[in-house]
Amino acid sequence: MTFLTRLLASFALVLALSLTAPMASAQVNPTQSSVTEDALFQALGTGPVAGRTTIPDGNAGYLIKPENKAWAALQGQTLHTLSIVAVVGMLALLTLFYLLRGKIRVDAGLSGRTILRFNAIERFAHWTLATTFIILALTGLNLIIGKTVIMPLIGEAAFGSLSTAGKIAHNYLAWPFMISVLLIFLLWVVHNLPNKVDLEWIKQGGGLLKKGVHPPAKKFNAGQKVIFWTVVLGGAALSYTGVMLLFPADAGTFADWQFYQTVHALVAAAMSAIVIAHIYIGSVGMEGAFDAMGSGEVDENWAKEHHSLWVEEVKGQSATAKPSAATTPAE
Amino acid sequence: MLVKRRSREAAATGRLSQMAAGVAAKPLDRRSFLRASGLTVGGLAALSAVGAGMTRRVEAAGFTDMRQPIEIKTNICTHCSVGCTVKAEVQNGVWVGQEPAWDSPINRGTHCAKGASVRELVHGDRRIKYPMKKVGGEWQRISWDQALDEISEKMTEIRGRSGADAIYLLGSAKFSNEGAYLFRKFAAFWGTNNVDHQARICHSTTVAGVANTWGYGAMTNSYNDIRNSKTVIFMGSNAAEAHPVSLQHILEGKETQRANVIVLDPRFTRTAAHATEYVRFRPGTDIAVIHGMLYHIFENGWEDKDYIAQRVWGMDQVREVVKDYTPDVVENISGIDGETLKRVAQKFAQERPSTFIWCMGGTQHTVGTANVRAYNILLLATGNVGGEGNGANIFRGHCNVQGATDFGLDVGNLPCYYGLGAGAWRHWSRVWDVPYDYFVSRFDAVPAKGGRDARTPEQNMEVPGITSTRWFDAVTLDADEVDQQDNIKAMIVFGHGGNTVPRMQDAQRGMNALDLLVVADPHPTTFAALHSRTDNTYLLPICTQFECSGSRTASNRSIQWGEKVVDPIFESDNDYAVIYGLSERLGFADEMFKNYEMVQGKFGMEPTPESILREINRGGWSTGYTGQSPERLKLHMAHQDKFDLITLRAKADAPAEIAGDFYGLPWPCWGTPELRHPGTHILYNTNLHPMEGGGAFRPRFGLERDGETLLAEGSWPQGSEIQDGYPEFTYALLEQLGWETDLTAQEMAVIERIGGENIGGVSWSLDLSGGIQRVALEHGCVPFGNGKARAVAWNLPDPIPVHREPIYTSRPDLVAEYPTNADRRQQRMPNIGAVVQQDVVDRGVANDFPIILTSGRLVEYEGGGEETRSNPWLAELKQDMFVEINPVDAAARGIVDGGWVWVTGAEGASKARVKALVTERVNQGLAFMPFHFAGWFQGEDQRGNYPAGTDPIVLGESVNVITTYGYDPVTGMHEGKVTLCQIAAA
Amino acid sequence: MARMKFLCDADRCIECQACVTACKNEHEVPWGINRRRVVTLNDGLPGERSVSMACMHCTDAPCAAVCPVKCFYTTADAVVLHNKDTCIGCGYCSYACPFGAPQYPQTANFGTRGKMDKCTYCSGGPEPDMSQAEYVKYGANRLAEGKLPICAEMCSTKALLAGDGDIIAEIYRERVVTRGYGSGAWGWRTAYGETVTV
Repeated sequence: MTFLTRLLASFALVLALSLTAPMASAQVNPTQSSVTEDALFQALGTGPVAGRTTIPDGNAGYLIKPENKAWAALQGQTLHTLSIVAVVGMLALLTLFYLLRGKIRVDAGLSGRTILRFNAIERFAHWTLATTFIILALTGLNLIIGKTVIMPLIGEAAFGSLSTAGKIAHNYLAWPFMISVLLIFLLWVVHNLPNKVDLEWIKQGGGLLKKGVHPPAKKFNAGQKVIFWTVVLGGAALSYTGVMLLFPADAGTFADWQFYQTVHALVAAAMSAIVIAHIYIGSVGMEGAFDAMGSGEVDENWAKEHHSLWVEEVKGQSATAKPSAATTPAE
Repeated sequence: MLVKRRSREAAATGRLSQMAAGVAAKPLDRRSFLRASGLTVGGLAALSAVGAGMTRRVEAAGFTDMRQPIEIKTNICTHCSVGCTVKAEVQNGVWVGQEPAWDSPINRGTHCAKGASVRELVHGDRRIKYPMKKVGGEWQRISWDQALDEISEKMTEIRGRSGADAIYLLGSAKFSNEGAYLFRKFAAFWGTNNVDHQARICHSTTVAGVANTWGYGAMTNSYNDIRNSKTVIFMGSNAAEAHPVSLQHILEGKETQRANVIVLDPRFTRTAAHATEYVRFRPGTDIAVIHGMLYHIFENGWEDKDYIAQRVWGMDQVREVVKDYTPDVVENISGIDGETLKRVAQKFAQERPSTFIWCMGGTQHTVGTANVRAYNILLLATGNVGGEGNGANIFRGHCNVQGATDFGLDVGNLPCYYGLGAGAWRHWSRVWDVPYDYFVSRFDAVPAKGGRDARTPEQNMEVPGITSTRWFDAVTLDADEVDQQDNIKAMIVFGHGGNTVPRMQDAQRGMNALDLLVVADPHPTTFAALHSRTDNTYLLPICTQFECSGSRTASNRSIQWGEKVVDPIFESDNDYAVIYGLSERLGFADEMFKNYEMVQGKFGMEPTPESILREINRGGWSTGYTGQSPERLKLHMAHQDKFDLITLRAKADAPAEIAGDFYGLPWPCWGTPELRHPGTHILYNTNLHPMEGGGAFRPRFGLERDGETLLAEGSWPQGSEIQDGYPEFTYALLEQLGWETDLTAQEMAVIERIGGENIGGVSWSLDLSGGIQRVALEHGCVPFGNGKARAVAWNLPDPIPVHREPIYTSRPDLVAEYPTNADRRQQRMPNIGAVVQQDVVDRGVANDFPIILTSGRLVEYEGGGEETRSNPWLAELKQDMFVEINPVDAAARGIVDGGWVWVTGAEGASKARVKALVTERVNQGLAFMPFHFAGWFQGEDQRGNYPAGTDPIVLGESVNVITTYGYDPVTGMHEGKVTLCQIAAA
Repeated sequence: MARMKFLCDADRCIECQACVTACKNEHEVPWGINRRRVVTLNDGLPGERSVSMACMHCTDAPCAAVCPVKCFYTTADAVVLHNKDTCIGCGYCSYACPFGAPQYPQTANFGTRGKMDKCTYCSGGPEPDMSQAEYVKYGANRLAEGKLPICAEMCSTKALLAGDGDIIAEIYRERVVTRGYGSGAWGWRTAYGETVTV
């Protein structure tokens, strides 16, 4: 596509034209039949006014795109607010939860015996995902609120450099992020298919709200499944829209870019909020949870309380078939 | 409207403290300036990567440093003929900025795409940097001395073998007036009339048609004067693209006068988009259309009967011819219905003043001269010549095509339309102070051949040379067919493209067959790339007119002095120096340059343009090129703001030395500079005193015809002491009138010296003293007489134009009734148009090639296009050669907008691979291609043929690969606007 | 202070592209970046009009609203400029602009757009007025020299008007009254929330 730009949205124009000048008429007065902005706007609504240019840039033919202003308002205000609400809201919610519920302890106390919950590959995948996501989220978030939060602190020039670095990081870290999303999907998809156990778990609120209540769960409980699917589906959405934004030349026109950007921002905000909750429960929120992704070895009692069915599975297996599995060192 | 943030001075002073002293105060050349600016000249490197992902080119050549002094240089745009003033800001010898030239009454600060980007010409990334020659197929760098030595040796050698006429001297409409004149003089000293330039292919038929009607072959009014028009017809002119700045005057006139702007064109052009009426017609049927209009005019008595009676001869004969062009006949031929034509005719005849504008859509035809004649007759019938707001406004093409035409870069003329007769040679011999016999000695004797008589040198020097449209035929045709000593063996091409004439397959064969090919140009041009020559091919880097001084004549005959902006870049040099260098080596420089002030140039001595112009002033009596001294022209440039926008006349507040002058002293500017004639804004205008720029039609075709007078009856310019028609002024006429006593003793002495035995025969155009002109003007008379315009030009093939089908016609059924002109010999060559046309009909070519192909201009490019396609600022805007095709034709062929197509031509299985532009601009059955492209030839990319680094950024197929045979019987103009083609998706 | 605007009189514009090359010339704008362009509507049909378009220097500029790094600023003349040192080349302004003004050195893919470039109304950027640093990044600063944008100054038919909005609106209005037709102040409604009524 190197030649004259096409008559973009020409159908709309032909429509507009029919208001002005019939070509076949014997008496043709080009001055009188002039296309006017008013007539075009009436015919096109907020659709773009497009024509022909000779520059080989597909978008150069759009003369006026009034609807871009709507996107600008969406991006500049709505998304901005939504993102802040999502992140700050979730933080507030968790703080509240922590204050009410406190840290969730292992009711039976720590047994001192551990079993392997996540092997090295799983942990590698998780931490790659986690690290890249956090950086992506922070650099992404920077584009939303950096100008109000960081820029006043460090000045325009430094903020520009920081954001440029952030953008480069965002562009490059997107790739390991996408690979690790794929990896965890392959590793854990089998364990994350919803089943009847999940219903019970949900019915009991995951036991999060009340001390001593521990609904049964397999390797992943329903809450974790939600996280999994959030990360996989959200990650896929972010990946797809992100790649489109990275390759605008192949991603269609400005309307497509706007759509991808909006989706990207919305999904990112939602995912950030959910992941914050995930981080909370995996760290300060619950005793013994971090070890699962730390050393990979979890305390047996923690495991029994939160993943009773899984423990049974693993115990049965290791007792019969794979005695060495539990002692494989995490590298 | 102009809101100043702060004044320039204050801002500059304020910055002094902020800036560390960077650039040293010593003068710097362009390169070291750029280096000192701390920026790389990345142009060449970056441009080689044209295409996807072009990286940012950081150049500081456009940065104006407010701490450094800025020199303002005033020159004229080197593209079209409108004559826009270019205001250049120069710092340290670098052209750093282009500012609007607000003071120019012609462009008032504005430009088109080309004018707004001329600064790039002296960036010159793609220019020829040094002289080169081809050795064994490779381009090699050589010195100027080597180049000129070798070229002159080869010229002399060819002359010895094949005669002086074997060297073809192709000049340029890009020359300054002085350069053009010098080139014509060079041809005279060399001894040939084979000297031509672009006017051949743009307005030669205009000059022939118009001069044969009322005297001079030029635009009668001016761009500015169109502001006065109530009705404007464009026929075969797309001024919005070809002369964009003229539209400033036309659109403002249209608005303030509520004028009718009527565009008659086969193609819905950008000019048509701003018309009040657009009328489409079949290409090549102009005469039928005009006669169709005249039919209604005579039918309804809308003609200007008084005007015709006083100032026109032969209109009754026209009336008879036009009776055959009934509305039905005209609609059948042209496609325009009678009612539409009637409406247009009525407006043109009754809503006056009306002007008629034409360009190459009218001229580039086998009936070019007849088309022009038809337009003229329409103007005469409606009384629309010789006044404000009317006239034949012929928009010329190149920046100095008017001047180069005036100075005889033409196979049939010495400077200023003196013709080639003995009287003309003797006149210029006197001006040049060289014996007439010297020129006789330089010309070839022509042997008897092909059944034609032999010619002595003296006879040969009066025979027009070969036209630039046929040079390649003169190389390759049988020697018997070429009416001179031998075929053309060498082409010396100064500033002329090789892709602007049809039949490029034949042109390529011609180039390959030459013994010597010299291209002197800022850019290599198609002449350097189309062929497969391996040796005897030279490139001489000529600078642009921005790198030298001189005058140029705009389309409206205003002469503007261009001031050198910067020194010639790289190793390029100006035309004056190169012509001198060649003359020196060919042994006639001393004679040829003896009247000039010689100064040290870049590589050697060169004449000053001022001294050349003074010689022109001493000899250009016939055209009134005598009053425009360099001093007067420079004064006009210095006081541009003092001229009125509409009348072009110096306003009341003008300084005394230009008071009353018309801007640029448009010719004729009679008498000596001291006479202070103001120039002539509007030709043939009887409403003004001749001394104030008034005039009358020029009686140059005898005093009577068929027993009727050819002198005006009851019409004379204001202030005339002879209140009737009168012939041209001679000494004898002065004596008859008893006015010879008004001549001074000095004037008498000059007249006596010229006249010798026959003093009475010394005319206004031969009198070197200017006395006869002065005396005639004093008595309110026009020196050339007061005659009638000719509605019937009995010396032309069609004294009254009649419709003739194009050779490659889409309507073979009309050929029997409207055949092309009979075969003939002209300008030393055969013209076999009738044979070709019959063959086209017999073979049913129109069935195989069902689409009419026409050609034209784009705003971004000019002429052959090498210069403009090398300018990245322009090239970016049109990156591909294309063909415009109607959506219906495209759909029928599976062609999509922007897709590749093959356009195939009707001769020699020619083909061109171009992109399709599917558009309603062209009707069904019509295709349009621009003519600025070259560098691809029938699918082959010839980029490698250009010397490294000089290939234009954008290359493409030339339309003239597809265009076909056909030449105007009067001037040899090619048929560039009608041929047949087929188009298929590639 | 003046409120600078552009107004393209489409009934005068002949698509001669002078505005485009004048801009290229004045600012040495590299290949591939088109700070100004001409768009032809209804090409080839009666009613065809061409409009020269560049940054319109909008009121409440959408580009500024979406810029993540706040690199846009509005001058006292109401010209919308940006700081290339801050710009991260994210492209959001180009999604937001109704006029296709933002340009990038690289139109190709993967984060290589480079710093955004657009029409400066011939008034440079944040660097000192008329300095070389300013020229290299943004081009010439004609406003500081007391001149108007070169595109409008060089417009062949004086179709493109630049200057204080009230004044150019008045010029346009007078033209429409004189000649009896006018296709509208293209882009004004979108850029300034108002149009020129006659």
